[in-house]
Amino acid sequence: MESFMGALGLYGLGTLALIWPKRLELAAHYVSMGLAVIASLMVLGLASQELLGLAGGGMLQFGRYSLVIDGWAAAFLVIIGLSGTAVSLYGMGYGRGYLGARIRQLTGLWNLFLGSMVLVVLAGDAFTFILAWEVMALVSFLLVNHESEKKQVVSAAYQYMVMTHLGTAAILMAFYLLGSGAESFAFADLAHSDLPPMLKHIAFGCAFAGFALKSGLMPLHVWLPNAHPAAPSHVSALMSGVMLKVAVYGFGRFVFEFIGADVFAYGLIVMVVGLVSAFLGVLYASMEKDMKRILAYSSVENMGIIFAAFGCGMLLVALDRPYLSVVAFTAVLVHSFAHSLMKCLLFMSAGAVMHATGTRNVELLGGLLKKMPWTAAFTLVGSMSLASLPFTGGLVGEWLTLQGMMTLAYESGTPELRLLVIFAFILLGLTGALALGCFVRLYGVTFLGRRRSNLVLKAHEMPFTMLVGMGLEALAILAMGIMPAPVVNLMRHVLVTSPLAIPAGDVIGLWWNGGQSESVFNPLLILLAALVLTALLLMTISSDKIIVHQEVTWNCGTEPTRRQQYTATGFSKPLRRAFDFILKPRRERVFLQRDHAYFGRKLHYNLLIPDQFTDRLYRPVEHIMVKLADTLRIVQQGSVRLYIGYTMIAMVIVLIWGGL
Amino acid sequence: MEYLVVLLLAVVYFQTRVMELKRSVVCLMAQSAIIACACLLAGLNHGLMHALIPFALTLGVKVLFIPMAMLKLIKRITDEREIFSDINVNYSTMAAAAFLVFGYVLGSRFMLDPLARDFFAATIMMIMTGLALMVMRKRAILQMCGLITLENGIYLLGLIITEGLPLVVELGVFLDVLIAVVVLVILTNRMSLSFMTTDTTVMRKLKG
Repeated sequence: MESFMGALGLYGLGTLALIWPKRLELAAHYVSMGLAVIASLMVLGLASQELLGLAGGGMLQFGRYSLVIDGWAAAFLVIIGLSGTAVSLYGMGYGRGYLGARIRQLTGLWNLFLGSMVLVVLAGDAFTFILAWEVMALVSFLLVNHESEKKQVVSAAYQYMVMTHLGTAAILMAFYLLGSGAESFAFADLAHSDLPPMLKHIAFGCAFAGFALKSGLMPLHVWLPNAHPAAPSHVSALMSGVMLKVAVYGFGRFVFEFIGADVFAYGLIVMVVGLVSAFLGVLYASMEKDMKRILAYSSVENMGIIFAAFGCGMLLVALDRPYLSVVAFTAVLVHSFAHSLMKCLLFMSAGAVMHATGTRNVELLGGLLKKMPWTAAFTLVGSMSLASLPFTGGLVGEWLTLQGMMTLAYESGTPELRLLVIFAFILLGLTGALALGCFVRLYGVTFLGRRRSNLVLKAHEMPFTMLVGMGLEALAILAMGIMPAPVVNLMRHVLVTSPLAIPAGDVIGLWWNGGQSESVFNPLLILLAALVLTALLLMTISSDKIIVHQEVTWNCGTEPTRRQQYTATGFSKPLRRAFDFILKPRRERVFLQRDHAYFGRKLHYNLLIPDQFTDRLYRPVEHIMVKLADTLRIVQQGSVRLYIGYTMIAMVIVLIWGGL
Repeated sequence: MEYLVVLLLAVVYFQTRVMELKRSVVCLMAQSAIIACACLLAGLNHGLMHALIPFALTLGVKVLFIPMAMLKLIKRITDEREIFSDINVNYSTMAAAAFLVFGYVLGSRFMLDPLARDFFAATIMMIMTGLALMVMRKRAILQMCGLITLENGIYLLGLIITEGLPLVVELGVFLDVLIAVVVLVILTNRMSLSFMTTDTTVMRKLKG
């Protein structure tokens, strides 16, 4: 436990980049990023020790404040450590692009951001938690706001700040309620908080709202697709890959330790919100053209899956079958881990593409595979994983989630709950299919085909450090996908030891499927089989009898041009048609020139997919607030005499009140 | 003491009817002098020194310095615009009477001693009338008179409730009033220079 202080100290040293002299700013950048890499490696190592049971927990007490580590915290520290290392390595190369643009601030705050996330997870009392949480929120706001010359960035950053503070307020409320019940703010005492049911419901609602906001669940996700494109790429990687998981950590603490999941409705709410977020998140992701917005909405989707699994576990606990909930809660941890890997990787590759071409709009890209082969390979791994294809980490978590749902259906015993599970299966199935489409579209339009604009011409492969950062994550995803057992076992071990404290023997096997049947998923075997089959196939077809003709693609007698390729907008058109009752796309066609009915006419086409939550929920609320504020302006007339009059009226009221 | 209360009430009533600047300052002077006397009489119970210092301070600050500064200001300001109070003087007098009744209602609840009750009612009336003067008058000087009346009321209230405030507190109160009046005098002077009037309603233009 004390060794974590060393890692925090290194982050602190890295933060000192803020005060290095201006002429040494590049040196400051390298030194600080190096410190961030070392510190993250340290966190990774120490947390893995903790997970493997070599360190045996620990607690540091500073008066009323304390730092505690247990299995649940260690699992998330591993996520922070691994992704922190990879993204910091990448940031070494990527951050150079900010030379002369407040690079010291970027690097210093980067260290502070990582350090604050570690501190949130280590916090052993509400005060430390909230303090670190707030530092994390403010530092990430400053990082999002880094390119503050752009108007869009500033508005996105302020939206993020307002939203995140609403979340903090909700969490603060939950802590306050629990703390007033326990008469202490130490986590160990909060666990024995004795609250009347009504207050407990309110505390749960506040905690869920606060953490859901930070994890970007619908309808509290609106900041996410704006903040991620605004932030520098390695910052969005860390925010999406790691910071969202910190919210899962906090929610888990609340559920496992403070509030408990024994109320049926809690699990139901969490699961339904998760499912809806998963489905709508990926639907919006399929519509976007901005690479980082696609990834941001995909984060909404994956956090939705994580929370759906969480809700499923909570329902199983509420049904009094806690030993079966292990599958669902394992899915939460495993998918958090996998999503952190793949989302960091894809944000890094989006950053690489931006670095090379200067645009995030996929409609202007294409054919990047030849220019940046390594980045393309790593992105392929990440995209496959996000589409949850076999041999990647993304599948494992989703598979476990579905297993958890099956268990729920099997154990529920009531038709209503089975209906819910059917609904969940439909939504998760749609989510999976749409995710596949979404990432085929992202990868295909960006890296395959022919170039869609001249921006692609200047593209080049990335420097070594950036490739190492991406490569690390890609390797981890593949390793986890091919041999999921160690990761899954570790995560399950975490659950059975610390937060759930269930005797381990009750769970049979790894891939448990309710009842007496058992199913096993072993990607290594499948991979071997697939390799053998491919080899056989290659052997049979690779004889010299095959004649290959290379011809121009048939295009009704004309040469196909680059502009006739499938566009990203075109690719998602069927979806837009199928789901237009949800998406409500607004199309605008302007005929600029129309000489002939079919030929030689110029068309300006504008497609807008408004976020329904912004239009239906946030706009009206904003409208009402502004109206209320306008009404209040009546009392502010700017006349000194009127203000004195208010004082006088107040005084008369006080005197009458006192006299009665 | 009883005579002082009657005198005080009479002066405050008169003050609500005065619209001319110089006369209202003279009223204020008389009012402060009565307060000083009350101060002296109340203090005598606690020893001569304790009575003399507040008396001297009240006399020096409120009876001499502040009215003198205000009179000097009145000589200097030139109101080019004719200012009429938009609220009839009768209303302020009526309000003062209502406040006096209100004071007696409250006083009968808080104070047992009849003399203290009279004083209490008078102070409530002074405080409220001071506020009312500030609200109902447009001219800066008259509003200042209202402020001093309010301040006198609070001072007298403190005096009868505590039967003599500690010296440090009294010194602090006087310093406060002194500074407030100095600032107000300077501000009114500046206002008269910039706006050519001391009508405070023109200040509304400053609202953003």
